[in-house]
Amino acid sequence: MGTHTHIVVCHECDEIVNVVDPYKEGRYKCPRCGHLLFRQKHGMIEKMFALGLAAAILFGLTNYFPFLSFEVIGNRAEANFLTSVQYLIEEQEWLLAVAVLMTTLVVPSIRIALVLALFGPLYFGKVPGYAPGVLKLLDQTLPWAMVDVFLVGVFVSMVKLVKMGTVIAGISLWAFLVMVFVMAAMQTTYNAHMVWDIVETARRRER
Amino acid sequence: MRAIEADMVSCHACHATVRIGEDPGKGEPHCPRCGEALAFRDYTSMQTVWALVIASIVFYIPANLLPMMHVHTFAGTQSDTILSGVLYFMETGSYLIAAVIFIASIVVPITKILILIYLLVSVQKGTIDNPKKKQKLYLFTELIGKWSMVDVYVVAIMIALVHFGGLTQIEAASGATFFLLVVVTTMIAAMKFDVRLIWDNAQKERDG
Repeated sequence: MGTHTHIVVCHECDEIVNVVDPYKEGRYKCPRCGHLLFRQKHGMIEKMFALGLAAAILFGLTNYFPFLSFEVIGNRAEANFLTSVQYLIEEQEWLLAVAVLMTTLVVPSIRIALVLALFGPLYFGKVPGYAPGVLKLLDQTLPWAMVDVFLVGVFVSMVKLVKMGTVIAGISLWAFLVMVFVMAAMQTTYNAHMVWDIVETARRRER
Repeated sequence: MRAIEADMVSCHACHATVRIGEDPGKGEPHCPRCGEALAFRDYTSMQTVWALVIASIVFYIPANLLPMMHVHTFAGTQSDTILSGVLYFMETGSYLIAAVIFIASIVVPITKILILIYLLVSVQKGTIDNPKKKQKLYLFTELIGKWSMVDVYVVAIMIALVHFGGLTQIEAASGATFFLLVVVTTMIAAMKFDVRLIWDNAQKERDG
């Protein structure tokens, strides 16, 4: 069995694509179906490391301060990230509790940790032995991190609650808002194709 | 040329291009770069996707009929379904929010289910026209998949903030759980679908 780094097979239509100059900056598309094969950008590792650090700090802030406060005639309720999960468990809505906890907290924080664990060493010129595992996990967890959808949910709830009382946005909400954009930037910068190439080259040198 | 015709396969995990014919080894071939099992096509994916699509249709019924949440106030208890939530926003003049909820909770799940059924039927019937258009439809279902979670999050946030002891309180109801199951089953269905099967049909036509 041999691997060919310059020959790419399109994952959508199975066409064999001969990429002539795979390290030039730009977007590489499948000539048959037009699907994006990969995106090559300079400074990907540096950018990913920086964005990962930013996301980690913002996520820390998000979990430390209150998210939203709600006031109705003297009664005040404050909610942070875990409040709704806590009440869902109290109401024994296990599936909802697990889904909310996983998609807004556990999976996003795992993804940030994975990005740091992978791009930290890469930034300092080392290829960690666990890189293949991390790359696979980053691929598998992507659809289940739903911070952006949660943000839309927050806006909808705010509109709903404004009619019942006073809604006050906490520091967490602002940190979370910025984090959603940082994570989106991370996704457009990320190029698994290039990291797999680095992993393979490092392995060849070892031999 | 397609990879399958050249005895080549792209690893689904690391996208390495592997020539299978070179190694007559025993059993299932594995990717030399990342160790994942390799397969030209996932023909069992059709059954899996059908099963998940049917499950999502079954979950969709109680998700719409049962309330998403109960609102307890001093005036009594009121129960909100997906549709009554949309109507509430329409009546109170929040048309943008009404549109967001309507699209995320009603249009998106139905569209996803219909597109998946259309793709399944067209692959099984061996339809050969417009593979590019079908692939776009598929990528669209993958893209919009998670956005139906908005309504589940709204319920989660409402119960966190409207929680003033016995008098005024919002509780999650079983409709929300069924709706969550609709989102999850359609998302997994979209992931399991092997798009390359659409192009195989088109290729048969090209070969004559």
